[in-house]
Amino acid sequence: MTERLAPEALGRTGSPGAGQLHAGIRAMAPILLAYAPFALVVGASVAASTDPWAAWAGTWLVYGGAAHLALLDVLAHGGGWMAAAAVGLLVNARLTAYAAAMAPAWRSEPMWRRIAAAVMLTDAPWALARDRARNAPSYYFGAAITLFAAWPAMVTAGALVGSRISATPVTDLVTPLTLGAVVVPQLRQRPVAAAMAAGGVTAVVTWQADTGTALLLAGSVGAACGMLAERAR
Amino acid sequence: MNVLLAVLVVGLGSLLFRAVPLVGAHRLPVRLAEAAGFAGLAVIAAVTVRSVLHHQDGSIAGAPLVGALAVGVGLLLAFRGRSVPVAVGVGLASYLLVVAALTSLH
Repeated sequence: MTERLAPEALGRTGSPGAGQLHAGIRAMAPILLAYAPFALVVGASVAASTDPWAAWAGTWLVYGGAAHLALLDVLAHGGGWMAAAAVGLLVNARLTAYAAAMAPAWRSEPMWRRIAAAVMLTDAPWALARDRARNAPSYYFGAAITLFAAWPAMVTAGALVGSRISATPVTDLVTPLTLGAVVVPQLRQRPVAAAMAAGGVTAVVTWQADTGTALLLAGSVGAACGMLAERAR
Repeated sequence: MNVLLAVLVVGLGSLLFRAVPLVGAHRLPVRLAEAAGFAGLAVIAAVTVRSVLHHQDGSIAGAPLVGALAVGVGLLLAFRGRSVPVAVGVGLASYLLVVAALTSLH
């Protein structure tokens, strides 16, 4: 059966994939503004490192602001590389859940596209593409490529000028508000609401724990509650 | 050398976290992928809540409460169908308004 696509789903080439790619780029573009203050903070931390070039390389290699910042923070406070690596890995462990959740929609994609998707995987592109079963890979690529190109540039700007910018407290709320706003419409689905409520409550209970441990716990409890709610439907 | 080693280990580990489920996508059970989706959303909820709980602002007392109010306003708008930039903008504006009101009271 052939499904009709809305005109806005088609790009100028007329291909649904190109249309979705452009839609992903358009969805991510305003979110870059929200990521900018966080990137400046990461950049300032890179500049303050004892080895700024190696720290800057983490922009591409670690490709996760929270893990990158946590790693540099441990090193700045005299921790060894193993302690820093353990903290960074713990914070980035959530990416396994994102990648596993994407797997069904990516089964028919060629291997090179799956590897490219993995390299660029982080919170915002995953959250944006999550609710799009149809054409999710193209939409995801649009969002992910946009962030993958912009993030290093913003961190580099932060490394050059970040220490001169006195961050205002309100900037701390930009990234969580953005991520929350991307996923909150999905709360209309009861299992999603159960999973997110469980994650939020776990965050309150573990608020004094380190970030990596708290997020792993929130993910585990959220997965269990989401599956239970799904089964109860 | 410490920085380079830590960055390389986290970079390699993070790549494995990202790539293994996607490379082996054919073998991943659908139920596991579904549970992983819930886990991911729970993590994003936790990130948002933790950011509010750890929010600090030297100019006001009870900064986490004001942060919660602002984030709540933004998320409510997003839930009701407003775009992400509008929700974020209104959330941040609410925060600044409340801070201005509180500081003018003192």
